[in-house]
Amino acid sequence: MADDAAPSGPARRAQGVLRLGRHAFPPERPVIMGIVNRTPDSFFRPGLTWDESAAMDRVHQIIAEGADIIDVGGVPAAPGADVDAEEEILRIAAFIALIRTAYPDIVISVDTWRHEVGLAACEAGADLINDSWGGFDERLAEVAAEFGTGLVCAHAGPQRPRTRPFRVAYSDVMADVLDQTLRLARRAIAVGVRPDRISIDAAHDFGKNTWHSLEITRRLNEMTETGWPVLVSLSNKDFVGETLNLPPEQRLAGTLAATSICAWQGARIFRVHQVAESRQVVDMVSAIRGDRPPARAIRGLA
Amino acid sequence: MITAAALCPAPPLLARELTGADPVVPELRQACLDAGAALLRSQPGVVAVVGAAKPTRAWDGEARLDLSAYAPGLTGPAGGPALPLPLGLGGRLLDQAGYCGPRLLHSVGDDEPAQTCAALGAQLAAADARVALLVMADGCARRGIKAPGYLDERCADFDAEVERAVRSGELGALLALDAELARDLMATGRPAWQVLAGALNGQRLTTDIRYSDDPFGVAYLVASLGDAADH
Repeated sequence: MADDAAPSGPARRAQGVLRLGRHAFPPERPVIMGIVNRTPDSFFRPGLTWDESAAMDRVHQIIAEGADIIDVGGVPAAPGADVDAEEEILRIAAFIALIRTAYPDIVISVDTWRHEVGLAACEAGADLINDSWGGFDERLAEVAAEFGTGLVCAHAGPQRPRTRPFRVAYSDVMADVLDQTLRLARRAIAVGVRPDRISIDAAHDFGKNTWHSLEITRRLNEMTETGWPVLVSLSNKDFVGETLNLPPEQRLAGTLAATSICAWQGARIFRVHQVAESRQVVDMVSAIRGDRPPARAIRGLA
Repeated sequence: MITAAALCPAPPLLARELTGADPVVPELRQACLDAGAALLRSQPGVVAVVGAAKPTRAWDGEARLDLSAYAPGLTGPAGGPALPLPLGLGGRLLDQAGYCGPRLLHSVGDDEPAQTCAALGAQLAAADARVALLVMADGCARRGIKAPGYLDERCADFDAEVERAVRSGELGALLALDAELARDLMATGRPAWQVLAGALNGQRLTTDIRYSDDPFGVAYLVASLGDAADH
């Protein structure tokens, strides 16, 4: 029935290896991307890692907790004080170089929509461009191609960077997500980004109300069935807060519930604030799926 | 007649794939592999494997271990009947030792009296001029408060008695083990030990204890019995 209803839908493809930096992540290996914000005003724990040494301490901590990727951002997603490209580069490039020196092998990601920033980040050692505003600056993909880095192709709907959704409406939000992210992925390949370094992201909350974000969570399998590695960024977001009527600092349980649902449907990259808890959730779901053995099984077997 | 015998426990966790990422008991597995290798150095014409499981019967020598009942994600052998766990694990030890010769696989029920077990042992011993016997048998499973059967202090004496009989080579003592007490103490190996005693029927072999411990509250004993030169 579903196939009849959507004859032109994307073909099902098997997941393949995702290459980022020096790493090759097989489909069954969940990847945790830990967030490090170089901002004074992000929504979750604002200013926590504005100071460089605090930011580096957090890098040490989240790597110890199991992060595979460090995602460095210099501009909050929400509207606020203007941060131009020059200031954004000041916030992130030297810091990325510091991480690279301390951790030659860790995957470093830059969360930006601007190609100038992407360029500076790649020169400093970034392995992945997390274009969370969905191809707003088309030249960002060209930077990824030039440096051989990865690219996240996200769905921001009709939103421009740092704007909030205003009465946004979709006839079918998942269809729109698939349409935009797959178009961005095709375009990335066309400009020379290596296909095994591309992932797609429904971008919860971006250009979406809470009902939309719940729907894409529920239907995430439609993204994983395309064969592209799916990144989910759920961490403490407003759709969790509105669903549970809780402020940002009380959204961990809701975040982890959504994380497990996405992991169950085959999401592979999890962009998170709380690395240790997220690692446990994705490893647990991975074992339930049968992708990963228990760490140590003795019960009933002795 | 019996040219050599080996004694190994048969917990599911002897199968490496059941313990997950952690090998958990590598030294136990190695002791069993060593016992299997020593058994084959006796150059047997046939290897008989015996383990406790209902009902008492012979099994197809081509049949193999099936772990799917313990971990549904694992697939069993393609076709053929699934062996009871002790026989499957014993057969795998023979595979791991590279044994390709004939095998006799026999289960023995925990309701069989000692004399029936001993008679089965004698029957297996008579199967060839050179029979190697692999006995898959576990001691008490109530050896501590974390043990599968909690703590029963009678286990210490029971398992010590079994080990003493094996170590000394006076296996006739195994025929005196009380079946009801063994059941109480969850010592599932009782009928298999008695098969061993019946197979040797007073014949003395030297014993090498390779492992004796209870890391999870179940007594595991690994031993090789044979001519000292073969150990």
